[in-house]
Amino acid sequence: MDVYTGVVYPLVLAASGVLALAGIVTLLWPRAHRVLRVAVAATYAAVTIHLITVAVLLVSGNSAGLVLTLGYLVASLALLPLLGIGRLGTPEAAAADPDPDRPVLAPDQIARVDAAAAVIIAAALAVLAWRVLTILEAAA
Amino acid sequence: MNPVARIALVVAYAVLGLAALGRSSVQISTKLSEAPVPYLVSGVSALLYTVIAVALWRRWAGVALVGTAIELVGVLTVGTLGYVESSWWPDETVWTGYGSAYGWVPLLLPVIALVLLVRERRARTAPGDTPAPRSAV
Repeated sequence: MDVYTGVVYPLVLAASGVLALAGIVTLLWPRAHRVLRVAVAATYAAVTIHLITVAVLLVSGNSAGLVLTLGYLVASLALLPLLGIGRLGTPEAAAADPDPDRPVLAPDQIARVDAAAAVIIAAALAVLAWRVLTILEAAA
Repeated sequence: MNPVARIALVVAYAVLGLAALGRSSVQISTKLSEAPVPYLVSGVSALLYTVIAVALWRRWAGVALVGTAIELVGVLTVGTLGYVESSWWPDETVWTGYGSAYGWVPLLLPVIALVLLVRERRARTAPGDTPAPRSAV
């Protein structure tokens, strides 16, 4: 539990903070999209580490409610594909879709869409991690 | 509507829909009899958020407009009733306290979405306007 509260939870918060910051910078300056992609990769890693750590805690005797804890973890995972949602607006992606209303985005618009999504997801991931911490601490 | 704003709204509604879906699934499946009204309201809000996210993505402007209007009315009604008739709400919903547990996003989001959707609708119906090219959608 000490590893979780001292390392893993702060890691997820830090990753969320960096993701939000990279998102804000990219919103203002789309050329920072490359940095945002690195932050997204780091977020994937942080969420994976979080997931594994909580799973280990649950298996090793923490009496936290399984349904709620796993629900929050699954929600964290479900949010990740929304990072980089701008890829759905590339001309190639739109060309493969018969829907005439499918948005086709310019590169700077793709960067801004990814940035806006990153800010929203960062906030949601931080809240989910906090909820998991609350449950685990209450059960410890 | 600006495509960046539109997709950002889709993401925001998807996240909120996921949160409401998770909350209402647990509440309805484990303790519905304890507080049926709040838990069913959470379920309705989850459904509404999902429908709005899909409608915004598919450009079903009418569905999105009606959905966000219902959402705003729901947040205001549930938020107000929570203070006026607190005995009706033995537990919280997504819309309790005007969405305070979610950083008031449930209150702000439909307002922003409605402003953008109404502006888009007005721009479309303005006389002499030509339809926007696909790349600018």
